[in-house]
Amino acid sequence: MKRPAVLLAVALLILSFALISYRILWLKYPILPAAPAKVWQLSMDASVKGSEKETTVMIGLPSTQKGQLVVDVHIHPGTLSFNLLREGPNQIGVWSGPISPRGEVIRYSSTIQVQPQRLHKIKPPNLGPYPKHTGETEQKLATRLVATWNPLPPTDRLRRIAAAVNGFWGTPLPNAQELQAWSAFQNKYGRVTASLVLLRAAGLTAQVVEGLQLAESVTNTTVTWIEVWTGQDWDTLQPEKGEIYQKPAPLLPLTTGGYPAARILHGELSEVRWTLNRQIINQWRMQFERMMSSNRWLDRWSLFRLPEEFQTTFRILMLVPIGALMICLLRNIVGFPTFGIFLPVLMALAFRNTGLAYGLGIFWGVVLIGYVVRRWIDKLRLLLVPRLSVILTLVIACITVFALLGNKLDLREFMAVGLLPFVILTMTIERFFVITEEAGIREGLWTAAGSAGVAVITYKILQLEPLQLTFFVYPELLFAVASAQVLLGRYTGYRLLELFRFRRFWRS
Amino acid sequence: MTILNTIHRLREIGVLGMNRRNAEYIMRSNPRSSFPLVDDKLKTKQLAEAHQIPTPPLYHVIEHHGDIPGLEKVLSGHQDFVIKPARGAGGSGIVLVKGHTLGGFIKQNGEVILTKDLTYHISDILSGIYSLEGLEDRAFIEALVHPDTVFDAVTYCGVPDIRIIVYRGVPAMSMVRLPTRASDGKANLHRGAIGVGIDMAEGTTLAGVHRSGVVTHHPDTNKPVSGILVPHWERMLLIAAKAVDMTGLHYLGVDLVIDQERGPLLLELNARPGLQIQIANQAGLLRRLELIDKAPPEIFETPEIRVAWALETFSARILN
Repeated sequence: MKRPAVLLAVALLILSFALISYRILWLKYPILPAAPAKVWQLSMDASVKGSEKETTVMIGLPSTQKGQLVVDVHIHPGTLSFNLLREGPNQIGVWSGPISPRGEVIRYSSTIQVQPQRLHKIKPPNLGPYPKHTGETEQKLATRLVATWNPLPPTDRLRRIAAAVNGFWGTPLPNAQELQAWSAFQNKYGRVTASLVLLRAAGLTAQVVEGLQLAESVTNTTVTWIEVWTGQDWDTLQPEKGEIYQKPAPLLPLTTGGYPAARILHGELSEVRWTLNRQIINQWRMQFERMMSSNRWLDRWSLFRLPEEFQTTFRILMLVPIGALMICLLRNIVGFPTFGIFLPVLMALAFRNTGLAYGLGIFWGVVLIGYVVRRWIDKLRLLLVPRLSVILTLVIACITVFALLGNKLDLREFMAVGLLPFVILTMTIERFFVITEEAGIREGLWTAAGSAGVAVITYKILQLEPLQLTFFVYPELLFAVASAQVLLGRYTGYRLLELFRFRRFWRS
Repeated sequence: MTILNTIHRLREIGVLGMNRRNAEYIMRSNPRSSFPLVDDKLKTKQLAEAHQIPTPPLYHVIEHHGDIPGLEKVLSGHQDFVIKPARGAGGSGIVLVKGHTLGGFIKQNGEVILTKDLTYHISDILSGIYSLEGLEDRAFIEALVHPDTVFDAVTYCGVPDIRIIVYRGVPAMSMVRLPTRASDGKANLHRGAIGVGIDMAEGTTLAGVHRSGVVTHHPDTNKPVSGILVPHWERMLLIAAKAVDMTGLHYLGVDLVIDQERGPLLLELNARPGLQIQIANQAGLLRRLELIDKAPPEIFETPEIRVAWALETFSARILN
């Protein structure tokens, strides 16, 4: 007897988890959509002064790639036109157009999540050429200088070069004349170029990256560093400090390969200001845009594709079955009485507009007024249907009075009372009366308290925003809820209150 | 841990809980299609008569509001009577009348009910106020039972009745329900009547349960409730055993009354009998139901064999 139900429950559970796993593993949904994600809020603003010719501003902008996710991109082009260019690994924002004499301010902002990189094989890059503006003499000099390190593993070679650029050549010290020639070259071209030449001479692939320090800051200068391939991954060398970082380095790349982060044609770029702020948002927001532009079947059938105004309704609706599940739990596991299944759920929905305290107050108020009137009406010998109609009218009258009072006292919560489930309230008054008549006032109050209790619990669940979001992202969780409901339907064990009811047995 | 221990202990004693009763016994043993037979007391009555099971004599049936005006004439012909809704649940809507008075009637508890109030009450019944689903109902008037005097000392103003739980035609557990002042002469436990367990083999009363506490004396008459020998015991068990064949419901609460002259009469059947009976008997019902399921098939052949087997198996002395 139990097996078909258990099988159904298991099947529902599997269906639910299969869909969720598919979303997580293939569509890369976050496991906990409502979990907080630490992100960086990046914004850039720059004032541009033009010339007679059409001005073009090119700014390197971070893009989604391995190790970082960029969403929520907002661009303020002003009177200029904006284009996004891809140049190799770089994403360049191009603002162009004539600029008024007063100048123009361009803005950009985005949200960036730095993700821990998974260990996977990257194809080793080819060894590139020497930097363009270096001569053969320097190249040969560099080759001689690093010759003794060549047998070392790449990471050690990198370490020696980092130290050398900072003036520590270690033992054996190279010939003093060559060292002097090298310092002259380094002073002329700077540490970055010097490092690049030494790295190339040592057979290490390297690329220049321009970007920002990942720290809460407002800055108008970018930093330049070198990424060096050490056989497994890119290591980061900051030549100015002589520091080497393994991934992830606290750096945000804007452009790679020597491409400048900000450039202007026919004009003057002043005050390029970069602002970085740490922020905490939920995981889901990072995925949202990608899902919206995805063509996958489950993405296209996501609740997020509904028009905004209907989404709120579904956020709540998705949680109503959990409310029903709570009622099952309370009745069949705990053994607490309620006025049916619908009253608590509908009350919980109404509480969303009235608030908990007012909602409960109004509920008890209407039920008690209704009860008193119902007792009195009993003497009038009204037939069933007309009598219920009278109670219904009374409930509506009560609600109207509450709303008018709310208007006078400027209490919005009272005016929202019209959303209370009045038909259910009417039936509750009748049921409350019948129960108090038949089984005593205690039983009636007990049942009403049970209903109010479940309504409160259900309301609290409906208000849980992380839960709302999770069910909205993964509507297939409804199958899991149904599975639990099926299982509860086959629960034949004792109810908790029965342990108390039958206490005579186990106490003896 | 204590909760688990408690559950284990209850299971050991064989106490039947609400969930298991519903899922394993009522849903499995009682086909939905047979429910109307017991939900409508008039149908039960007609069925019982067809099977030669005695019930209180039926005086009159009121089906429509239009029948009410002629009612006074019918009622004047009977010294005492009971008005019942055919589909009433838990004893609601039942009025016991023991005599006539000027412009009205005297109820069992001594209160006077005016004729117009009584006809209002009947019209309430017809509109379905007391019916299980709020559907239109029928009211009927039957003879007032004059209960056997055996329970007089432990009854406050009303008719005690005997509840027998029958599973697959075998009487499993029983109790006598004694009205109290609080229950307004009605024999329903949730209204405050006392339930007193009955030893199956002996037909004698055990301790009682009153509002889920154990009592040894009737709260109003202060007389001990235990040790009373229930008359016509085996005959009642037999009626109960036959009720199953009659309805096709295999998990059934059979309610009987003992009339001074007519003996045991079938009052009504209940497809969802309550669980308080276990406290009244200080015994677990689940254990007995499992014993019935384990019994050899030949004991189910006739009602007589089933009753004999129950008498032998469910003695309080043997079980406890």
